[in-house]
Amino acid sequence: MSIPLDIGKKVVDKLRPKFDDVAVVINQKDYVMVKLWNSEPSVTQSWMDTQVSLLLTKDKKVLMLGLSVRDPEAILGAVENLGPAIQNMEESELYAPLPEPTRLSPLTGTVDKAVIEAMRDPSPLVEEMLEGAAEYKVDRVAGTLVLGKSTRTLVTSKGFEGVEEGTELEAYLRAFKGEFSGHWAFGSRRVEKEMIRDVGAKAGYYATLSSSKAEFTPGKYDVVLSPLVIGNLIDYIGFMASAAAVLMGFSMFMKFKPGDKVGSEKFTLEDIPRDVELPGSVSFDDEGVPTSNKPIIHEGKLVNLLHNSGTAKKMGAESTGNAGWLMPSPWNLKIPTGDLNEEDLARELGNGIIINNNWYTRLQNYVEGIFSTVSRDATLLVKNGEIVGNLGRIRIADRFTTLLNNIENYTKKHYKIKWWEVETPVKAPYVLIRNLNITKPFI
Amino acid sequence: MVKNLGLDEGLLMKAVDLALSEGAHYAEARYQKDIMDNVVLRNEKVIGGGTEIKEGVGIRVLVEGSLGFAATNDLTSEGLKAAVTAAIARAKGMSRLRRVPIEFTDERVGKASYEVKTRKSLKDLTMEYRISLGKEVVKEVKGSVKSVTVPVIMYEMGTHLQEKLIITSDGAYIHSIVPRVNLMANVVLASQEKGTLQRMFEFAASGGAELVDEWRVTEKITQEVERLENILLKGVQPPSEEVDVVVGPEVVGLLVHESSGHPMEADRILGREAAQAGESFVKPDMIGNYRIGSELATVVEDPTIPGSNGFYLYDDEGVPARPRYLYKEGLIYEPLHNRHTAKIFGTNSNAAARSMDYRSEPIVRMSNTYFKPGDMTFNELIEDIRLGVYIKSYMEWNIDDQRWNQRYVGLESYMIRDGELAEPVKNPVLEITTKGFYSRVVGVDRNLEFFPGTCGKGEPAQGVPVWFGGPNVRLSKIKLGVIQ
Repeated sequence: MSIPLDIGKKVVDKLRPKFDDVAVVINQKDYVMVKLWNSEPSVTQSWMDTQVSLLLTKDKKVLMLGLSVRDPEAILGAVENLGPAIQNMEESELYAPLPEPTRLSPLTGTVDKAVIEAMRDPSPLVEEMLEGAAEYKVDRVAGTLVLGKSTRTLVTSKGFEGVEEGTELEAYLRAFKGEFSGHWAFGSRRVEKEMIRDVGAKAGYYATLSSSKAEFTPGKYDVVLSPLVIGNLIDYIGFMASAAAVLMGFSMFMKFKPGDKVGSEKFTLEDIPRDVELPGSVSFDDEGVPTSNKPIIHEGKLVNLLHNSGTAKKMGAESTGNAGWLMPSPWNLKIPTGDLNEEDLARELGNGIIINNNWYTRLQNYVEGIFSTVSRDATLLVKNGEIVGNLGRIRIADRFTTLLNNIENYTKKHYKIKWWEVETPVKAPYVLIRNLNITKPFI
Repeated sequence: MVKNLGLDEGLLMKAVDLALSEGAHYAEARYQKDIMDNVVLRNEKVIGGGTEIKEGVGIRVLVEGSLGFAATNDLTSEGLKAAVTAAIARAKGMSRLRRVPIEFTDERVGKASYEVKTRKSLKDLTMEYRISLGKEVVKEVKGSVKSVTVPVIMYEMGTHLQEKLIITSDGAYIHSIVPRVNLMANVVLASQEKGTLQRMFEFAASGGAELVDEWRVTEKITQEVERLENILLKGVQPPSEEVDVVVGPEVVGLLVHESSGHPMEADRILGREAAQAGESFVKPDMIGNYRIGSELATVVEDPTIPGSNGFYLYDDEGVPARPRYLYKEGLIYEPLHNRHTAKIFGTNSNAAARSMDYRSEPIVRMSNTYFKPGDMTFNELIEDIRLGVYIKSYMEWNIDDQRWNQRYVGLESYMIRDGELAEPVKNPVLEITTKGFYSRVVGVDRNLEFFPGTCGKGEPAQGVPVWFGGPNVRLSKIKLGVIQ
């Protein structure tokens, strides 16, 4: 039996008499991150950490506790200090009893020994990325390689006991050539050397794809968004699909109900926790509910919000296995592929803009879905099927409903993406979207 | 010796010694404990409450020209030893990929202990008090609107007690305790005809329970919601021609944070954040001589402002803090440095190294950034504007990764007609370059206000508490956009 499971059981046993519900999550992490700057490592960071989270309820009052300790007595001591806090709390609008355990279908293939092996000396994988970019004779690169293993343990007072192990690899690189740059990213549970090299190669490709500047007039444009860009944007859609985001006023789905049309028939968005290729894969959520792959949006229609037991009770639904005790959230996201030819995106687009990467997505109003996001790296103006130059930094400023409704097609292949601006791992291709509003400063 | 520390501080010294004995030429051990608690309400009902305690040690070493960092929450001798070993071994492992060794400046580091004293204890912010204040806010806000509904108010109130002990191999010994209070409310207003409007209210500062009294939370939120109802129902589009625009302290504060503070972070100028938060339009040869704006454009960064959200007296490398002029009278002036970037620039650190928690490496950060106020009144600032727009607050904003091309979408905004505020304006868009903004500053009033934020940077991302602020600033000949 694992040590965290012992600790979890001991804590739950001790606290069960005092509370109606007790759940303990113990996350043990051993991670290493190499950060690159000017084609050299700027810092190598290591974390050897145990984090304990507790959910405690009494008379429908809900209290959560997060601790960076590993000693059961210290955990129990911290709970003792909470005594008055829960007494003085009021009933939670989102209280629901913890669910009874049901049969789990464990995931296999979440651990890759090659990741653990590479943690001892990450430099060969770093060199793969660097060499990938060097093929394009770039001036310099910056980026990150993360390798890690984690163990997640959940024990609840309803008798649920679960332990899951996983490894993770995240790699991203930004390559510079003169004033232009390209960026690519990859996230997986496994060491996939060719994909790591491809991170460098794709960053180099986009940095060198066009060496001339182009100008544009703000207005409506057809665009091709790379998997990085659409990955960032569907991260926001996934967040807004959380029932808690809907209840708290942080969601465009406040204005919709399941069955309503929210996007193009070509658009389907799935939460895929059972896909072990992506590092967000889990077999049970933080309440012990088995996870399942499911659509959030199917062929343009809203199908599921993401629920834990509390939000499900409040909204008359069933838990979707996405707890978060307060905030249900997606585990991994996926959108469809199509039949566009990735090797000739400019011709597939005809006239418009290809955007390699973006950042700083912000909303004026979540309920209306009014947002803007800024391009970085290659932002390529296409005329008559030819790339005519790089536009520099531009802005997509529109509504999420417009973006989803105007999706027309995809390329044929999924990429596995996770990086600084795509926190939820995604499987995404390039996406062709018609008529998006593009802006730039007036001076 | 620090009393009641969460670990034997001798262990930190041993960790530093161990790192040196294993080949490090610089070592730093930082114990950090962050205790945060909060309660969340949705409308008048409680959702839940929580406490988070993060306690551990971050070790940083310079060895063979390579920088290593390791964090652990195993606060035993063995735990710290393992962290030192990992930091050293992995830094050494990467040193062969470095062409130029990393070096730090020599500094007059401090030996000090300081604590932000509270007039009322954080413990006075009991659960009952926090809940009752939240309910009062909800009740007053819902009672204040006349023709719209308030489908959601989310309210969150929290405290944050941060303790650090930093020991370095070159003699720094800095112990600090900083308490903070924060409050946030997300309010959605809805109209059948006009759609919705959303506003995030934020209050945060260092200090104790007395802050909540000073903030007059209910009054402030309620009064603003009354004005926002008017914006939602009666807001008109901004003028399509170029007009003078006055931006209020909240917008100015964010703007200087984004377009002065961030581009003046020396690590960004050097490219250390290139793949994450980006680089900077500022190049080393611009410092001290490049004109970014009019002579009215002066931006100050100051960690030592008492009561501020970004308050500290020594940074996380043990260097004493002081105010710095980022932009001075329109010139790019002094970047923010830690000991690493200062070495490359051939200068000294100005104490900008901060870490979010024990798991985070110290990197160059802002603290409290503000546009220096002038001496005009607000009325004097706008009295000769025949037609213009006043943008008082915002919701959406962003800026490119070089900190040049930025956008702020106004929330509470008004037309200015013949020198006076007039009808409300809905969602005016100020999309402008950094030089475009600072070079069009033609007037600055004396009403300096600060606003709180959590500034994100680093990998893994670190959010640190900051203030940003400014007075009302007048810009000439601005073309505003509209939301499509």
